[in-house]
Amino acid sequence: MSKPTKTRSVEEINEKIRKGDVQVLTADEMKKLVESSGVEVAFKEVDVVTTGTFGAMCSSGAVVNLGHSDPPIKIEHAWMNDVEVCHPGAAVDLFIGATNMSEKQPFEYGGGHVIQDLVSGKEVELRATAYGTDCYPRTQLKTTLTKDDLNQFYLLNFRNCYQRYNCAVNTSDETIYTYMSKLLPRLRNATFSGAGELNPLMNDPDYETIGMGTRIFLGGGQGYVIGEGTQHSPKNLNGTLMVKGNAKKMSPEFLQGAAFTRYGTSLYVGLGVPIPILNEGLAKKTAIRDSEIITDVVDYSVPRRDRPKLRQVSYKELKSGSITINDKKVRVSSLSSIKMAKKVSQTLKSWIEEGTFFLTSPVERLPLDSVFKPMRQTEEIPFVMSVMHPAVTCTENEEIRAIAERIVTKSVNHIVVVDDAGKLKGIVTSWDVTRAMAEGKKALADIETRNVVTAQPEEPLEIASKRMAQHSISALPVVDIEKKVLGIVTSEDVSKLLGR
Amino acid sequence: MVRLLLRFTEEQVPQPIASQIIIEYKIPMAILSAHINSKGGEILAEIPDEAQEKIIKAFRKRGVTVTVPKLIEVDAEKCFSCGSCVALCPVEAISIDKDSTVQFDKEKCVGSTCSVCVDACPARAIKSVKQNTEQPASNRKKQS
Repeated sequence: MSKPTKTRSVEEINEKIRKGDVQVLTADEMKKLVESSGVEVAFKEVDVVTTGTFGAMCSSGAVVNLGHSDPPIKIEHAWMNDVEVCHPGAAVDLFIGATNMSEKQPFEYGGGHVIQDLVSGKEVELRATAYGTDCYPRTQLKTTLTKDDLNQFYLLNFRNCYQRYNCAVNTSDETIYTYMSKLLPRLRNATFSGAGELNPLMNDPDYETIGMGTRIFLGGGQGYVIGEGTQHSPKNLNGTLMVKGNAKKMSPEFLQGAAFTRYGTSLYVGLGVPIPILNEGLAKKTAIRDSEIITDVVDYSVPRRDRPKLRQVSYKELKSGSITINDKKVRVSSLSSIKMAKKVSQTLKSWIEEGTFFLTSPVERLPLDSVFKPMRQTEEIPFVMSVMHPAVTCTENEEIRAIAERIVTKSVNHIVVVDDAGKLKGIVTSWDVTRAMAEGKKALADIETRNVVTAQPEEPLEIASKRMAQHSISALPVVDIEKKVLGIVTSEDVSKLLGR
Repeated sequence: MVRLLLRFTEEQVPQPIASQIIIEYKIPMAILSAHINSKGGEILAEIPDEAQEKIIKAFRKRGVTVTVPKLIEVDAEKCFSCGSCVALCPVEAISIDKDSTVQFDKEKCVGSTCSVCVDACPARAIKSVKQNTEQPASNRKKQS
């Protein structure tokens, strides 16, 4: 008897697909098999593992070619269903960006919805303007189109399939709306994105089989990896893919326009990669579990590039529905659909079994060492910490008279009320004190504002300034995460620096 | 238990209508949500089934608009079960089942007075339903 082979090739797998005896498991099924029977058996029995993800992928879009009008036009500006589309090339090539928003229904309808409508076979209205040339004399155009009228309609996504992503929370006192959806104040919810153990790149973290030319499931049709995605950052397990595929053959079930309140529009993309099990190492890698995939819990209330990380958490915990942060139980929900991710991997499995999908070897592997650098900035912007100054404070048991004196001697308009530990309790303004005098009130408790709008030292001054305008107030106590008062920033500080 | 949406006018706000009814009829009433200011507002209350008819009558007698609310509508065609809404729901009316499908429990939902999930749905599949036209079943019978 000959020794059992320790490797198999993509060609061998394709031959099996042709013969109809290929063994395909979804990532879900593979993990169970490895757990029950071990890596060796799994390698022997399984040729391909199908993965999948279905999430909002903002860096998505579609290239379309309209054909020429008569007389011809060299488009300068164009809109599809009132969504501005960009004209990156010659006369009638357009790019529909998923995040461009409708001018009539901003935040509700955008490029992602235009792509979904076109894929569904719906008619889309095109408007265009141009400056007119001798060869392209036309300056105005209005028509309706379906995907059948387009010469090319290719999905072209420059960053898809993030290997893993942050878990987002909000420690501030106000609800914030982000690309990680609605985040309630004071850690009342958390959101995360990504399919975890079902994610294509997580199942082949060394990119042994995924690279330029890898045929994939894309939006319900077949597509290709055309290289590393933008912001590809493999060293810290944040790999991404750039992909393209013929959108005319895709399905609206796997390409869905999305609207994130006060953030904008996007496109949910279904993407699945078949991982050929070429060796035992790949059998082992495709057995990765959610408990082994760790990500950061990030505080999105800090409007900075480097936001505070509150802890690390596994996808297993994230998918359990709740996590613990600072001893507090926080309910957590997914933004990407695990249900659809599974459907992607199952559909891809059935295509391979039916012999309608063949595997490819990449012509070039994804880089393993590229680094995602921050932007080079030549201008510094001011932050709250650069203008804040020490706050004049008082405690809750002080008399109004004493506070009035302090306002005069320190020549300030705001006195911050703190407890013995220096934590924020309230704020009193010179106006509050004046009115208290007029009305004969003596106790601080009668006049202090307890629901105080605050700022954090790391915030850009611009944002603090907007908050003051929003609440029609002229100062914000600056506090740390435990509400300890660090100082105060006033509208005067802002106008001195920003000149407004 | 049955849920009633009680709508108060500006004139009714200062009157202790709900407490009078609770005392008079000796029924426990849970306030699930309340949005009231000097200009009027709404209370979503829960009462035992058997008290439904007399309590509705009592509120209506005092001029309060009473409806049995239909709370939210979920468009199953649009929902792709991402689950963004799940952790937002204050009454845990939304869950994810074994097949990773998002499920809405209309019994638990407190509806339009909450609506926290509505603007968090990226598929825009959740709508809060206005209650203006809804009438409780018992009342409809009498009118026909």
